[in-house]
Amino acid sequence: MRRRFWEYPWGYRESFTIGIVLLFLGFFIELVSPVDAIYLPRWPFNFILILVLIAYIYISYRMVKHPFMKWLSSVPAAISSISLFTILVLLLGFIPQTDESGGSLLVDLGLTHVTRSWPYILLSFYLLIILGYTTVRRSFPLNLKNFAFFLNHAGLWIVIVAASLGSSDLRRLNMTLQENQAVFRAYDGEGRAYQLPFAIKLLDFHIKEYPPSIGLVDKNTGQFAIDEMGQLIAVEKGLNTEFGQWEINIDEYYESGFPDSTGYTESERVGAPPVVHMRVRNTITDEIKAGWLTSGSFIVPNKFMHLSDRWAIAMRVPAPMEYSSEIRFFTSMKEYEDITIKVNKPAKINGWTLYQTGYDERMGKWSQVSIVEIVKDPWLPVVYVGIFMMLLGSLYLVWMGRTTKKTENELD
Amino acid sequence: MNWTDYSIYMILSSGLWILALIILVLPRKVKVIPDIFLLGGVVSIVIFTIGLWLNLERPPFRTLAETRLWYAIFISLIGIIIYYRWKLLWMLAYSLLMAILFLFINYMNPDTFDKTLMPALRSPWFIPHVIVYIIGYAFLAVSSLMGLKGLYLMYRNKSTDKTIKLADNIVYIGFAFLTFGLLFGALWAKEAWGHYWTWDPKETWAFLTWLVYLLYIHFRVNKRKYVKSSLWILSLAFVVLLICWFGINYLPSAQNSVHVYS
Ligand code: HEM
Repeated sequence: MRRRFWEYPWGYRESFTIGIVLLFLGFFIELVSPVDAIYLPRWPFNFILILVLIAYIYISYRMVKHPFMKWLSSVPAAISSISLFTILVLLLGFIPQTDESGGSLLVDLGLTHVTRSWPYILLSFYLLIILGYTTVRRSFPLNLKNFAFFLNHAGLWIVIVAASLGSSDLRRLNMTLQENQAVFRAYDGEGRAYQLPFAIKLLDFHIKEYPPSIGLVDKNTGQFAIDEMGQLIAVEKGLNTEFGQWEINIDEYYESGFPDSTGYTESERVGAPPVVHMRVRNTITDEIKAGWLTSGSFIVPNKFMHLSDRWAIAMRVPAPMEYSSEIRFFTSMKEYEDITIKVNKPAKINGWTLYQTGYDERMGKWSQVSIVEIVKDPWLPVVYVGIFMMLLGSLYLVWMGRTTKKTENELD
Repeated sequence: MNWTDYSIYMILSSGLWILALIILVLPRKVKVIPDIFLLGGVVSIVIFTIGLWLNLERPPFRTLAETRLWYAIFISLIGIIIYYRWKLLWMLAYSLLMAILFLFINYMNPDTFDKTLMPALRSPWFIPHVIVYIIGYAFLAVSSLMGLKGLYLMYRNKSTDKTIKLADNIVYIGFAFLTFGLLFGALWAKEAWGHYWTWDPKETWAFLTWLVYLLYIHFRVNKRKYVKSSLWILSLAFVVLLICWFGINYLPSAQNSVHVYS
């Protein structure tokens, strides 16, 4: 006989009804509440909230025997929470997320700041509750299969909780450093200034560049021709190569050169760009040309060579390979520590992590400015525990796949 | 050892792998020899890499060609391991052909060509991140083919039990690799950009793909029910994956993405 609506055990109809009600409740609160974005509680309140949540799930699971509790860890409940959450993330993926306030319906419904909106918070909470009860119910008795289940589900639970509730304790600040000036001030994403309990001085900023490359430029488009006429070729002295019908021979290469009366000379001056001297032979007409080529810099104009009505040969501005800052970190007037940071190689000091993010791009490798980000993320270790659990759980999935004979019978 | 010696090792590896695949496809079962060939192919390329390392006096992790060596090593290794565990010959063929492709690109495009890689990409995370996605996609693509096959069988009123069982296994493996990709990406982003998750469009869409397969897995917990819907979800999930990965650059929300590299 068909089960009536709201008669236990609940299935997909009830689960989706509850999820959709929560979603619309979220939109409604968002619409009527005067605040545009929600800020989650900070330490220690977020920590207390997490403890309460865990205790609540565990104790209620143990104490209350009611079909409702069974529903809380059922597949239909899981499916409804994951699908509705997916729909919100889908909206997040389509609608540009901005900090605009007031005005359009999208803003009022929270869809321009989904991750700080009521529907998102309510659905995350719904998902966390279902995931929590599922974890508690299915992880015991502890055999290998249930342990893998525990790693995946508890791992995800920990990642979501620590990443979302922990985000309110996250500090990400930007600092713009000038060589040899101590800086005490940093700015957050919204441009608010913060006074720091330490100071940072940029000792030196370096850029390591790839060798410059040369290639044919299509004069009609002004673009380097990467497909039709071969690729860009890295410059070195003595290089012999061909672009289409032109044979190229580089007989001089200065990593940095400066124009003078005869052409270019090697120079260490600020703003001296890479320079090559080359010979070009047209293999069809046997015509030979010689001349200088440079990518130019903010002082030296760039220089290319015409080959035909359509093609010219030019040097591309060298791309940065790596940039780094030598930094002095003062914890007091006298005590300091020197560290070097690079892209992909941040440094940790006094509970902060320093990241290299940028520099003065107009000045390129002569920049005396370095932009760094300093981050304090006290919940990071917890997030990493969750991530690590999920990695292990996934290894189990790769190794064991879907089924063993036994569970097939258990489930049927 | 340097790049001038490369062709010998490349030919040895590719040759051994192709021979192994041919032997494995043959109807007569040959023991041990394919195993030796498969491993021999990996060893050959590993020896070249170690030689290069010693010669350069630094880990060969810097140029694109060096990166491709590692791709070839890890993809072939993972393919072989999965083959021994799951007996999936197509997966072995796929990963070995990918590895051979990488080796071959190195042969055609040695390092004198333009090889700039922006600083944020110059990280030990780059290779694992890309490899696990390449493998995850292969599995998920095949699972969708199985979904289509299942729908066809259903249409012809034939049994789908075996097909969907295999599909489930493959989804589990593919989903696990997708999880690796997502998590490696998060760990890398922390190193490079200061935060593991910024809702960058590429992250958001990778996460969406992951959610769709998560739905499939949970939808399938009760195996006997909703087989037809499951097969449809499976077939359509890959469409979502493709849209996610190729459609991103056209989205209004993606205009400020840090993942749009060029
Ligand atoms: C990392 C993410 C996840 C992974 C890898 C994962 C994996 C799995 C797997 C493999 C099963 C099947 C276990 C079996 O057949 O014995 C399962 C079952 C289940 N999962 Fe998940 N899951 C994840 C996230 C979630 C989430 C977010 C929820 C809920 C919101 C959830 C709720 C459930 C439920 C209710 C079951 C059924 C348990 C049972 O009744 O035996 N899972 N999950």
